[in-house]
Amino acid sequence: MLGVMIRKIWHKKWMFICLLLGSILLTATASSFPMYKNAVFNRMLQDEFSEHLEENGTWPTRFDMIMVSKKNDKGVAMTNMEKFTRGLYSKLDVTEKETVMYYALASADAHTTAQRESVKDFSIRLSFLSNLPDHVRMVEGQMYSETGLTEDGIVEVVVSEKGLTAMKMVVGEVFEFRGLKGADGNALRIKVVGVFEEDDADDFYWQVNPDEMQMMAFMNEDLFRSYYTLDNAKKYTITCRYFALFEYEDIRAEAVDDLIQQTAYYAEESTYKGLMQTPDYLELLREYKGKESRISTTLFILQVPVMLLLCAFLMMITTQMYEMENNDISVLKSRGASRGQIFRLYLYQSLLLTGIGAAVGLPLGNLFTRILGSANNFLEFGIRRELNVVIDKEVLIYTGIAVAISVGIMTIPALKHSKLTIVKLKRQKALKKRSWWEKCFLDVIFTGIAIYGYYNFTKHSDNLLHSALKGEALDPLLYVSSSLFILGTGMLLLRLQPVLTNLIFMIGRKRWKPASYASFMETIKNGRKQQYIMLFMILTVSLGMFNAVSARTILQNSLNNKEYVDGADLIVQETWKDNSAFLGSDPSIEFQYYEPDYGKYSQVECAKLHTKVLNEPKGYVAVSNNERQNTQIMGIHTREFGEITKVKDALLEEPYRQYLNDLADDAEGILCSSDYRTNLGYKVGDYVVFYNEKGSKARGKIVGFFDYWPTYEPETITLDENNEITKTQNYLIVAHLSVLQKYWGITPYQVWFKLNENATTDSFYTWMKENKVSLKFYQDRAKDLNLVIEDPLLQGMNGVLTMSFIVMILLCAVGYLIYWIMSIRSREMIFGVLRAFGMHKGEVFHMLVNEQIFSGIYSIAAGLGIGTLAYRMFVPILQMAYSTTSQVLPLEMITKTSDMVRLYSVVGMTMAICLGVLATLVFKLNITKALKLGEE
Amino acid sequence: MDVLASVRGVNRIFPVSGGEFQALKDINVDIPRNKLTILRGKSGSGKTTLMNIISGLDAPTSGTVVIDGVDITKLSDRKKENLRRKSFGYVFQSVSLIPTMNAFQNVEYAMRMAGIPGDHKKRVEECLKMVGLGSRMTHMPAEMSGGEQQRVAIARAIAHHPSILFADEPTAELDSGMAAEVTELFKRMTAEENVTIIMTTHDVGLMDAGDMIVELANGEQVCQN
Repeated sequence: MLGVMIRKIWHKKWMFICLLLGSILLTATASSFPMYKNAVFNRMLQDEFSEHLEENGTWPTRFDMIMVSKKNDKGVAMTNMEKFTRGLYSKLDVTEKETVMYYALASADAHTTAQRESVKDFSIRLSFLSNLPDHVRMVEGQMYSETGLTEDGIVEVVVSEKGLTAMKMVVGEVFEFRGLKGADGNALRIKVVGVFEEDDADDFYWQVNPDEMQMMAFMNEDLFRSYYTLDNAKKYTITCRYFALFEYEDIRAEAVDDLIQQTAYYAEESTYKGLMQTPDYLELLREYKGKESRISTTLFILQVPVMLLLCAFLMMITTQMYEMENNDISVLKSRGASRGQIFRLYLYQSLLLTGIGAAVGLPLGNLFTRILGSANNFLEFGIRRELNVVIDKEVLIYTGIAVAISVGIMTIPALKHSKLTIVKLKRQKALKKRSWWEKCFLDVIFTGIAIYGYYNFTKHSDNLLHSALKGEALDPLLYVSSSLFILGTGMLLLRLQPVLTNLIFMIGRKRWKPASYASFMETIKNGRKQQYIMLFMILTVSLGMFNAVSARTILQNSLNNKEYVDGADLIVQETWKDNSAFLGSDPSIEFQYYEPDYGKYSQVECAKLHTKVLNEPKGYVAVSNNERQNTQIMGIHTREFGEITKVKDALLEEPYRQYLNDLADDAEGILCSSDYRTNLGYKVGDYVVFYNEKGSKARGKIVGFFDYWPTYEPETITLDENNEITKTQNYLIVAHLSVLQKYWGITPYQVWFKLNENATTDSFYTWMKENKVSLKFYQDRAKDLNLVIEDPLLQGMNGVLTMSFIVMILLCAVGYLIYWIMSIRSREMIFGVLRAFGMHKGEVFHMLVNEQIFSGIYSIAAGLGIGTLAYRMFVPILQMAYSTTSQVLPLEMITKTSDMVRLYSVVGMTMAICLGVLATLVFKLNITKALKLGEE
Repeated sequence: MDVLASVRGVNRIFPVSGGEFQALKDINVDIPRNKLTILRGKSGSGKTTLMNIISGLDAPTSGTVVIDGVDITKLSDRKKENLRRKSFGYVFQSVSLIPTMNAFQNVEYAMRMAGIPGDHKKRVEECLKMVGLGSRMTHMPAEMSGGEQQRVAIARAIAHHPSILFADEPTAELDSGMAAEVTELFKRMTAEENVTIIMTTHDVGLMDAGDMIVELANGEQVCQN
């Protein structure tokens, strides 16, 4: 049977190459989904951790436990806690980074044995820090010895620099405690042998800053334990603090669920819950999980269309294959092959194909994933941060499913076909059926659902906003609606195609030349055979357009939005010093800020321009006697501000420059957001009195109203405590900085920068260090934009849509070619007949071109129409669901000509190649041979 | 004898792997006008090759074929195509109907090809009635038996009033009763339609029907009577 199979495959190698291609692509796409998902989740998880570390300066994966060991407890709790702490890592299945134990006795009084002027008692807490010698540098003296005792049996201790000063000790001094006993039962004596400081301030060993341990004298851990714990524990009250830090770098996304569960148990349910702070990472991981499910669902839904298309491709080629092999099957049967044997023949064949498919598809999937991870826009790849792609169990499961589906598609028809005998085959050929989907009006149903979805989402757009704000997963119906719309209308147009062709045919019925006549008859009577490839073509063009426009629109709008909301390339605000420290003592002193040197900003290398911008977010205007309207107030230097910022003129009633000029022309002029006009009834020329947060007054004359202004969001959409959407109108007054300063005195301002072309903010950090600048506010637009691009949801969407686009184009091109070549081959005999009847080669070619117009051009036109309609309808809805914050700027459809050029050039090239192949076939057609073919 | 076509010194050599194969060797045949000529021989005897050469589908390696005073071996492809379109009709061994057209359309298509002006309906019906399928004009090829399909093919081959009808083993796939019927039909047509018919067959039983028999064996002409 193997021989039969291999001969069969060799004989129809082109078809098998197609099947192989479909199978490889299916495995690659299916396996790249979990690979990408897991890689991006791991990246996201690490980002969350490092962000936490950057923002809070504390190690995110940390347990912080504190316990007081009471005398009556006899040290049991202490032993248990130590065991628990050390066992945490294995229970959580994480890698230990640092375990810090820190025990301290209660303060005890001691007196010095040295001759000193002051004879006051010293209050000292004797304690130990685990592994202290490894994490310090001695500034004076030395570390305590291994025994922890001097030669004459005095306990050696070390203290921090602050502690030395605070306790007023001297290195080498010996103290004797009044209440504490040593091992020998006499009063305990300690000797200060050294002073330490932390070896590395960034060392996470220092969970408690040494400065906070001022009254502590640290002794050798083993010595401490032998003196005060175990059997002696019953005599002392010891404060014990435990820090368990574990590595977050090797926490894998798959392990997060278990980690959450275990941690939550310890922090919220176990007997230790009262002793520990809830670890920071618990909340972090819970938030992460929410995002993960949203991204996971969204990516999955996004990938469905291309998977379905791949299955359809396999089905199409398989159908062709069975149709071509129907004769062979019936011959095999008539020679006595059983149904089982025929079925097995096809099963082995498909197993061979999918086996190769999986072997090639898996590495290809890996490659896909890397490409996905570097997508920074639709069809653009440039992110250098590589994803760490791993082939794990989930990947293998997905691959397995893909393989099973391929085998199923390729083998199941064999069940039906193996029943055929020659007689049945002939009878079946005579039947001209409508497709099953036409009979059950699947096209109408799909279109109906999609339109219902569309109306539902447009009507209840608040629901969408709601779930986007809450970070919920995307409603599958949303994405499915657009896909169903494309599929449904595509099928609807397929149903219409024969009707339309028939109509054209009827118009010139008598006049059609033989070539046109034959092509009409072929299309009308045999057109259904082409439905698959036509649907393919329609879907490629329309989904291609839809994908391109939605990916670009969603990303570009998010970027534009961020760019606008950020206002300038770089905005910083220094921490301003003031005189508040002196206010209490002397009522005659007025509060005053000390303005930092502004001249130093001109030394910032990366900056081209900079300007002062006063930003008062919490100002107000009086609306009536006792009602206030909150307003933001911005003080600017018009010329400089205009050079640094920009707003698209299309968003404004007058050009942006004009607003700035109007403001510049009037010394007391102000610009107001349009809600001053619509809600508060102001008009140009009116005076507005407004106040800063402290209630200081200012006044200005309105010279214009604007809808958009750098950083200004006309309304804020948030969720209130009841999870209801609240929309807040935002008010903004823009005034001259100098005027505001005249009213309010020296007020902290921000500095807005325009950076040099292609400059990064790296040099800004050096500048900051050199000038010892401490910042209260820092906003880097390039960094923010990059965050948008690297947002896993947006990036995943870009990547998946790009991959789908490429796969679809590939399938369509290959599918179209193979379909046509196969279909021409099967009709060679008829062409021979026609040529024998005296039809010229040109006429035969003309006939085929006609058929291509009816199928190919019709499909492209249909795809174009459907694609345009679909993106106009559904992209605004998708945008709403994707945007992490509300869209401030009006949505702008981004259609890039180059995408369409790519799409059409591939489709056009396919058709051209197809025509080329057809022409070759027709011109090479040997009439006598073609006719012989029919004689077999 | 009124000769319509005369074949003189025709050789046909096919290149085959590792050499040449001479399918026809020095054939000289005269085809009488409005008669049924039968080219007879076993398969591989060269009868189909000879017919293809006479009908202009194939060109001889050497020799001439003169039809109505014109040497068709010297004609351009385009002229040969026009000749086939207007003056020749073909019936092939196996089903050669266009599967997407019904019986009527298939027959009418030949007239369209020949560029015959005016209404074709009457002539198509006449031809289908002649072959005994007047009642099955709207049937699709797949809905007819092999014999019926072959008769539609015959109707199609004469619809445009060709001067010669070529039939390559038209009876090979039919039972003997049907085969005799078809041959009888051909014979009648030569008289009623004023058409010259050249038909190949390996069936000895049909010999009697021919006005002239040309027998071939291994590419050589055995006899002509």
